[in-house]
Amino acid sequence: MKILSHLKSGALRSVKSWKGILIIWFLIFVMIGILAASAKSGLKSMIGSSMITELLRDTVNADVLTDLKEGLSVLIASVTKGFILLILFTFIANAFFSGGLFNILSKKCSRKSLSCFLSGGASNFWSVLVINLIVSLIFIAVASIIGGILALIVSKSGGGNPEPGAMSKAIRFSIIIVALLLPVLLLVADYARAWLIGNDSKKPFSAIGAGFVMTFKKCVLSYLVMIILIIIQAGFGVLVVSKLMGSKPSTGGGVFLLFLISQILFIIRLFLRTWRYGSVTSLLEETQTTAVSQGQSEPVAEPLSDQV
Amino acid sequence: MLISEENKGDGKNKTLIYRAEDICDFAWTAWPGYDVYNDEWRHVKITLLIPHIRKEQVERQFRAVKNALEYLSENVGPFPWPHLTFVDPPTKRAFAGGMEYTTIFTSTSADRMPESLHLPEMVTVHEFGHGYFMGILASNEFEEPWLDEGVNSFWEERIMDHYWGENSGIIDHPLFKMSDKSMSRISYLLSLGRQVTTNREYSWNYPHGTYSMMSYNKAATILYTLMGIIGEDTMNEIFREYYRQWAFRHPSGKDFIAVVNEVVKKVHGDKYGPDMNWFFDQTLYGTGLVDYRVSRYTNSKIRDFKGIISEADSQRFVPSVTKDDSVYKSVVELDRLGEITLPLDVMIHFNNGDTIMETWDGRERFKDFNYSGTSQIDWVKIDPEYKLRMDVNFTNNSKTDKTDMVPVRRYINKFIIFTQYFLNIISL
Repeated sequence: MKILSHLKSGALRSVKSWKGILIIWFLIFVMIGILAASAKSGLKSMIGSSMITELLRDTVNADVLTDLKEGLSVLIASVTKGFILLILFTFIANAFFSGGLFNILSKKCSRKSLSCFLSGGASNFWSVLVINLIVSLIFIAVASIIGGILALIVSKSGGGNPEPGAMSKAIRFSIIIVALLLPVLLLVADYARAWLIGNDSKKPFSAIGAGFVMTFKKCVLSYLVMIILIIIQAGFGVLVVSKLMGSKPSTGGGVFLLFLISQILFIIRLFLRTWRYGSVTSLLEETQTTAVSQGQSEPVAEPLSDQV
Repeated sequence: MLISEENKGDGKNKTLIYRAEDICDFAWTAWPGYDVYNDEWRHVKITLLIPHIRKEQVERQFRAVKNALEYLSENVGPFPWPHLTFVDPPTKRAFAGGMEYTTIFTSTSADRMPESLHLPEMVTVHEFGHGYFMGILASNEFEEPWLDEGVNSFWEERIMDHYWGENSGIIDHPLFKMSDKSMSRISYLLSLGRQVTTNREYSWNYPHGTYSMMSYNKAATILYTLMGIIGEDTMNEIFREYYRQWAFRHPSGKDFIAVVNEVVKKVHGDKYGPDMNWFFDQTLYGTGLVDYRVSRYTNSKIRDFKGIISEADSQRFVPSVTKDDSVYKSVVELDRLGEITLPLDVMIHFNNGDTIMETWDGRERFKDFNYSGTSQIDWVKIDPEYKLRMDVNFTNNSKTDKTDMVPVRRYINKFIIFTQYFLNIISL
């Protein structure tokens, strides 16, 4: 029942934070839209007044791609660079977005106003950025170590002549392990950010320490909540992307409708993520309330370094 | 077939003697990891040796080889041998894959090959095809590789696109489809050495790593282009005749072209000239490119003039404004940008729904078609069915004022969706 109450609390907080979510959607859309608009005009100028697009009605056509090769290679190179910049920019912007969301989701922010979102994002930007960066690096390191170790074991097995299919089994096994560890790292990141906001701290390393402490203090409950939310998010994402990517509207109106539906679904996707933040915030607040009522000190890890 | 089997008595060695009629090459394989599967197609007993881990691909492999048997038997000639063995080598010995010997060949695959990727089927069809183009029609692969690999690739592409989908012979995924013939054309078009040599050269003289492109891809694209000109039925008849005349002999390129000339003359008379040498001289034995372009089209309103008014030092025309002045003079301007000249169709569509199909011998550097009437040209297409697959640029084959940008908008929309979700996933 505790699981359900936290999920419910997270969902309610998420819905109340709709202004922040819409701002996030709009900014992400503008960023991607700039790249997409330049890609579209590039394609338009390459195609010109040709009717070759008739070959693109069903699916991407390799003959057309080849015929457009010179212009297309320039376009792909510039879109790829733009895409990399977009990833970088999103990573940085996400520090602002998640800082703002955790602020608006917390009890401190009872009115759930837009200023709450913006001030939370601005005042916690650097600390949240450091938390995001460190947890991302931990994830990459953990995934690389697990994958690397398993690959090494397999390649050395059978006297350097592994059984057929052993490597693909190792890859699948390492993906499963990383997938099981993913909720833990997400919990650490979410608890750390929620703790940072809840305690008006600017100490990212202390926050990460608190994140680990909180994750393992309420291990089973937190893990179950996170697993449920990840499954819902992933299921939603897979379903939406597969359906939308597979759809083939053949008229301008159909394409516009697809655009509208896709954006509504993406906003729902952002609500689901905020639901995760809200549920973890609820878990943290309950723990801290319980600790205070029992006269215990808050679960804070010793700061490793606060010179950030 | 197995003639005798003699055990040496030591429990480790034995002697097997096989006999096969009319074969020009042989091979053998042994590996304890193979699973052995047997099947039949009409008179042919088929054996497949495949690693256990790929047992889910057995059905795919048998389907591929049976499709190839059926298609080549119908369109070229009967498969003469009662046995056929094919092998899918394990990953650690993948280099043994994709090799042909008469009545035995090796395919290529990978563990857990996705259903949407028809690579194993393609290799199986190709290597089986060598039973015809090298096995039965035993041309010299080193002197004229196009007659072996090129002709065989042409048939492989036809088989793949016939059985696995006209646009999905090699890849059949909802997000991306690709025909086998497109893969060949792409390899030819993207090759930097596509104009450095001709198929008149022996294969050991091909420069700049062009062997694969010249032997497989360009030759197959040339044959597709020939089929686009003379038609599929004539093309099949050429190969049936080639089989009838040259089965179990050693034909050369000139022998094949002689068959082409004979059959085309028989079917089409002098429609394409006294012979088809003009085609092979330009494409197979030349280095030129095919590129035709719709330069532009215009629709000009025709007006009568009542007369000329002279005013001081200037003159002006006085147009006749009547109900009948909405007559248009429409002009289609076509260019030949490449060196190769081929006959082609030109489709002109008018805004009243009328469509005119013109033919052009393609020899001049430019060609105009003139029309006058009450309707205007909507669009123009050269080679509307994309049959001249040697054309290096399909994009300039058509022109319209109303380009359908819906597919582009759809792809851009999907790019936005993909990017949004990707960025959302990688953000914590």
